[in-house]
Amino acid sequence: MASLVRRSPRLSPQIFIPIAHLWNVILALVCISASVNIWGLSDFGNLGRPVQVFAAVVVLVPVVIALYISVGLLLHSLRKNPSGWLPKGHQTRYAAMVFYYVGMVLCAAALVETWAIFDGFEFLVNGFMANAWLGYGFALAYVLSWLSGRTFLPETLKRTLRYASLVTGFGTLIILLAASDFVGGMTSILSTYRQFNVIALTIAILVFAFLATQFLLHGEHFGERPHERTSWQGWLLLSPNIIGFMIFFAGPLLLSFYLSFTNSTVGRTPEFIGLQNYIDLMTLEFQTQTNLADPPQRALSFGFNVLGTLELGNTRYVLGAKDPLFWLSLRNTLLFCLLLVPLGVLPALGLSVVLNSSLPGVKIFRAIYFLPSVAAVVGTALIWRWLYDPVIGFYNYIITSVVNFLNTLGLNVVDPQIQWLTDPNVVLFSIVFLAAWQILGYNTVLFLAGLQGIPKQLYEAAQIDGANRWQQFLNVTLPMLSPTTFFVLITTIVTGLQVFNEPYGLFPARPIPVNATTSVFYLYNAGFFQFRFGYASAIAWVLFVIIFGITFLQFRFNRSNAYE
Amino acid sequence: MKRFTIFVILGALLVMSLPVVVQGQEITLRWRTRPDNQAEIDVYTTASNTIDAAWDGVKLVYEPGGSETAGYQDVLVTELEAGTAPDVFWIPGTDVARFASAGLILNLAPYAAADPEFNIDDFYAGPMSFLTTNPDMNSDEEVLWGLPRDISAFAIYYNAELFAEAGVDLPGGDDWNWDRFMEAAMAISELGDDVYGFGMNAWWANWGYFVNAAGSSFFNEDYTACGLNNEATVVGLQAAVDLFRSGAAVPWGTDSEPPFLAGKVGMFMNGRWATPGTLANAGFEWNVAPLPIGPSGKPTNWLFWGAYVVNAKTAHPEEAWELITRLTSAEIQGAVASLGANIPSRQTQDAIDLFLASLPGTGINNSVFTDGAAVGVSEAPLFFGNWPKIDQIYGQNITEVFNGTQTPQEFADTICDKVAAEFTAGN
Repeated sequence: MASLVRRSPRLSPQIFIPIAHLWNVILALVCISASVNIWGLSDFGNLGRPVQVFAAVVVLVPVVIALYISVGLLLHSLRKNPSGWLPKGHQTRYAAMVFYYVGMVLCAAALVETWAIFDGFEFLVNGFMANAWLGYGFALAYVLSWLSGRTFLPETLKRTLRYASLVTGFGTLIILLAASDFVGGMTSILSTYRQFNVIALTIAILVFAFLATQFLLHGEHFGERPHERTSWQGWLLLSPNIIGFMIFFAGPLLLSFYLSFTNSTVGRTPEFIGLQNYIDLMTLEFQTQTNLADPPQRALSFGFNVLGTLELGNTRYVLGAKDPLFWLSLRNTLLFCLLLVPLGVLPALGLSVVLNSSLPGVKIFRAIYFLPSVAAVVGTALIWRWLYDPVIGFYNYIITSVVNFLNTLGLNVVDPQIQWLTDPNVVLFSIVFLAAWQILGYNTVLFLAGLQGIPKQLYEAAQIDGANRWQQFLNVTLPMLSPTTFFVLITTIVTGLQVFNEPYGLFPARPIPVNATTSVFYLYNAGFFQFRFGYASAIAWVLFVIIFGITFLQFRFNRSNAYE
Repeated sequence: MKRFTIFVILGALLVMSLPVVVQGQEITLRWRTRPDNQAEIDVYTTASNTIDAAWDGVKLVYEPGGSETAGYQDVLVTELEAGTAPDVFWIPGTDVARFASAGLILNLAPYAAADPEFNIDDFYAGPMSFLTTNPDMNSDEEVLWGLPRDISAFAIYYNAELFAEAGVDLPGGDDWNWDRFMEAAMAISELGDDVYGFGMNAWWANWGYFVNAAGSSFFNEDYTACGLNNEATVVGLQAAVDLFRSGAAVPWGTDSEPPFLAGKVGMFMNGRWATPGTLANAGFEWNVAPLPIGPSGKPTNWLFWGAYVVNAKTAHPEEAWELITRLTSAEIQGAVASLGANIPSRQTQDAIDLFLASLPGTGINNSVFTDGAAVGVSEAPLFFGNWPKIDQIYGQNITEVFNGTQTPQEFADTICDKVAAEFTAGN
């Protein structure tokens, strides 16, 4: 990166700073115009007036930043050293670098969208797949290149092979591109330059890139110090993630928070309904019933369904909820977590201790145990569905075989014929076993990394003190692993609270059994099957608060106990 | 530096090579349906190409959607929200009401009225009655939400070898009623601990058959309220529960198709869509029979259907209408039906003949499905209720009935109270 910077053209500040001022003015005018336009739109993508107003205000943010930069540049050029909130020289430069860089990235994203390049990827992949046999050309090029590097061959032959390799490789590439409609794609992209917005975006990218580069190159003009240079380089490397986070995570997060206060559904503009979604979600009703012959449902008001009952003497206590399935899904999720933590953490700890040894072939076993973590959950869930099949599944086959064997010994054992995916008392365990199997390898790798970070001297000291293996494990390994254990616990619990893939994959038919319905699955169901986006958003936020609360408590608890 | 330059050039070439949808005078129509396998994708691709070749000025782009369990609906809903959904797409019959009420699909009545070749009577009346329902009860406006792609009905897929082994008559005939059905199931289940007389899956239509065959119904006559609070529901469910409790049926909730294909189930109730898989995987002699007649005394079945509908935001509504009429032509439906998974949605004799002639040489009794469809209760989109929520509550309570935590009587007594809030008409 440093060499790239050194070789880039530098212009005098007297040239690029006036350009920056001019560009700031243009940007400000464009943004103000866009804000006014957004404000006046009759339809804002079915997102509602509050989002429209928010977007109109957000579009004005660049105006403020541009103003801030221009004021900073003016003060700097006047050799003023401002105090208080007014921008100082290096602050102005940082703001300008970030502002122009982000502007460039956003314009580039808008341009490739306008080129319809995302659609093009699909066509390109289809083109490549249709001509996949051409890939042999690359293999041939590689073989030729490999042969050209063999020392036993004469120089002239090596040179010929090298050229043949290049010609084969590039020839294959060109044929592949041609077969994927290279000319058509290029023509289509060029044809978009008849549109004003494509030209404007291209110019904007060039100007943003030019200004970002110039501010980047003129650090000394703004009093940059060496450590500050490494600092912006770090931020630059982080920027794709930060920009991606803001656009694809923070934005939807805010939107879902807003939607949770609306009646958002597919195809309609959401209307603000205040806390109604949360009220519908959380409202409970408690009634007593003295005529026990009546079904409990009769005791509840219209719109409520039975969540639980308790009979004491001649009185039945009925707990109802407007949405009992939400409470049941929450119960399932918490129970799932309680089961997943011991099943996903303790075996992983034991396994990591074994895999940390120097047994022959241990590296192969490390890879094998990690495989379930990288396998697609939906795919493995389909296999587990077959394993769980009560009639032709493997697990019941094994159990029946064991029972039959025991019975041949004279024991009178009854075959349980477990209904893994349908018995309400078993189904959640079935999901937990799958999830624990999946997470085991990942947790094992984490523990393994933790184990390998424990200094050998501690074990040597313990041995000198006469500690046996178990005492070493209890008094050295476990305390030294506590930061890793803390991390594994946190990630396992959060994974457990967000469980979705396992029930989604195990139960392709909808609706799924109640005891297999987890909170995130219920959220998905509310959003995509019932089209209740506002309600689903409210579920998501309730779940977020619960996960945040549990994690926060864990942090508080572990901070005092963790052995750093 | 050289390497860097080469990478830049190659990167630029790759980017520039990405083909973009060609802008031109030709209208491009995107359409999508939910295929169940690659063979169906191939047939729909061929159908699309055939129509495309014969249609000047219109370019068709067929986008096979994911299967039922691979996010077909998720993708569609997301695209509808984002405004990028195809011009024409398929939805299940139960979804028509929601899509229509939400304004997501176009009212095609004006285009149908202007089309001299369109005849509503060519299609099965049940689906068409729902496709012409106006969700605004106060409006007299004529509506048409789409045309059915195909239909289906249940049949009893039976393992003839297990019937022979158990020494019971093959299913079918005039006296094919619940008594014979139960006896056959019990006799077959006695062949071994891992052999079952009957199997069915757990979604609504399966237990719904028992309820309907006993004379009850999911909804009232005008589909504005629950219709399960009656004695017929108790009778139907009790018979089903007894069958399952006796151990003669594959345990409730278990996918019965794998054990049936493994030769462990005597009778398996499923739709026409299961025929290709059974043909490919069953290693025993099998065929299909009608559903047994229940206490109502009348033949009972379901008429499943899904419809091609037009995106309300399409820029080419007339061409989109033209496309769905071409996609539902007897010729195209016949080509799809020849695969064996679908029944044409046209009840014209030429379409029925095409279906009856499908899968020649297999000996499959195709007429069982058309006969079933003729008496079938149409899969109902609820224009005045929240079907996904009602389905969820029905399903939750039915599972309790089959698991023994609720009796059929308790179910019938309370289910309508439990779903009452989910019906919009009258609330």
